[in-house]
Amino acid sequence: MGSIAKLERRMSQIYLSYGGLITPLGTTVSENFANMREGKSGVQKIKGSGFNKEDWPLGKMETLTSNNRYRELLNLTCEKLIEQNGEQLFSDPRTLIILSSTKADITDLPNDTFASTRQILNERLNPASAPVIISNACISGVLAINTASDYINAGKYDTVVVIGIDVLTDFIIYGFQSLFALSAEPSQPFDKNRKGICIGEASGTIIVSKHKPENLFHVEYLGGSSSNDANHISGPSRTGEGLYRSVNKTLQRSGINSFDIDFISAHGTGTLFNDEMESIAFDRLGLNNVPMNSLKGYFGHTLGAAGVIEIISTMLMMEHGLLLRSIGFEETGTSKQINVLKENIQKNTKVALKTASGFGGGNASLIIKKSV
Amino acid sequence: MRILGACKVSKEGVIVNNESKTELLASSDDWKKELYSSLKIDYPKFHKMDALAKMAFLSFQYLEQVIETDRFQDDEIAMLFANTYSSYDTDQKYLESYTVKGSPSPSLFVYTLPNILTGELSIFKKWYGENIFFIHENFDPEFFIDQINFYLSKGAKACLCGWVDAANENEECLLFMVDNTTGEITKDELLNYYKQ
Repeated sequence: MGSIAKLERRMSQIYLSYGGLITPLGTTVSENFANMREGKSGVQKIKGSGFNKEDWPLGKMETLTSNNRYRELLNLTCEKLIEQNGEQLFSDPRTLIILSSTKADITDLPNDTFASTRQILNERLNPASAPVIISNACISGVLAINTASDYINAGKYDTVVVIGIDVLTDFIIYGFQSLFALSAEPSQPFDKNRKGICIGEASGTIIVSKHKPENLFHVEYLGGSSSNDANHISGPSRTGEGLYRSVNKTLQRSGINSFDIDFISAHGTGTLFNDEMESIAFDRLGLNNVPMNSLKGYFGHTLGAAGVIEIISTMLMMEHGLLLRSIGFEETGTSKQINVLKENIQKNTKVALKTASGFGGGNASLIIKKSV
Repeated sequence: MRILGACKVSKEGVIVNNESKTELLASSDDWKKELYSSLKIDYPKFHKMDALAKMAFLSFQYLEQVIETDRFQDDEIAMLFANTYSSYDTDQKYLESYTVKGSPSPSLFVYTLPNILTGELSIFKKWYGENIFFIHENFDPEFFIDQINFYLSKGAKACLCGWVDAANENEECLLFMVDNTTGEITKDELLNYYKQ
């Protein structure tokens, strides 16, 4: 299998480069990273945000001021994309746009909540092909990058622009509150004292292409996959089965061994069961000592955007040879020992694994490699 | 690739491989419950499911009557699903739980994601294969053929595909399964299953 995977990879080399990043920590990729390396978090208590007017800590963007945060953020995302890449890339017949979102324009109910997505993308970016939309809970972003590689591998498109986006709404905040999944303090993924999730909002864009981006930082996409837990629709597997299987499949497709992985950008939501499940899966995979973090402490859990913005952050860490600490983590709080970063460390990272898990029992993963 | 079978369920009845299988009582308020009863299966989880998951579950029961799915390993079947309205029907009900009925309902909230139905089918069959859910303006046979090709070329032995939607009283569900045997699927073939 290994040799077949390698052969396939040679046939279609796929590159990932930055498209854009809009979060509470900044509106550009570099502004975000400058704040992240300083250890700043975009999560803060938002007055009266709960169903009973609780002050939940959330990753809320001050820059969004209109009464429709989703449309405002998607419009802003498109504006910045054109500013930085020109219009040509998006209207090129060899370019596809894939958008990943869990709830899109949910405040537009009772209208079709994905209609405005298509409208804004078509008006702003004028794409030649209809955009593809993925809505598969919290693994949507990783699935979107994997799907982009499918289209390029099949020769359907040369470049795929992947946008991950979700915003804060009462709908989502009240829902996680009703499940008792929210943390009253900023979340602490993998820590002994973790109490739950902080929800956030963001958009991130990655340009996936068969063309090597000259003069721009890029990584190679090696492979990816997904796997269902077949266990529970809203609770993670106790054995980490789906995540374990997805990472194994991704390793196989990438043609590399687990000991080649230098860094893991984990999902790490900060709930008791999710983080425990991930530690079990990583233990079964023999990845206990690989440095890892959860970026939820920086942005909160941004749902459909999470996979995309966390891959962008991982690329930034690879570019700068700096692995960021996992904000909120002090003491191991999972039954299996894993190497969660308490401090930023200088490390040249060649190969990184990104994982995600979500409602519906979904797990997804992918592997990227620093180009030399 | 080759189509192993297709099943459409709606309040009009059940059509398997272009043949009408079951007709429903025109008077029935809850056609999904009526179908469930007629199948004589015991799966209490069914009653907790939302409309999308119920329709996919029912349609799958009929497909299994004509397809031997157990010849595949537990991770060899990829589930490729899509619809127009995401989890619209449940989104509305959940929204009402806190705007009208007093407090946000956790049991409704967990179904406010369309891909929950692939989780339900995975649980029912103990399948660990790949899953993905797309939102599309219309049923697009070409899109499904592309996705099936992608997943079969990545190693899946079969794909369970579905178009399942529930919005504003309009409920429809088409499930079809393909395997990697040599052959072609045409757009018209899929459109015919959808329009039947």
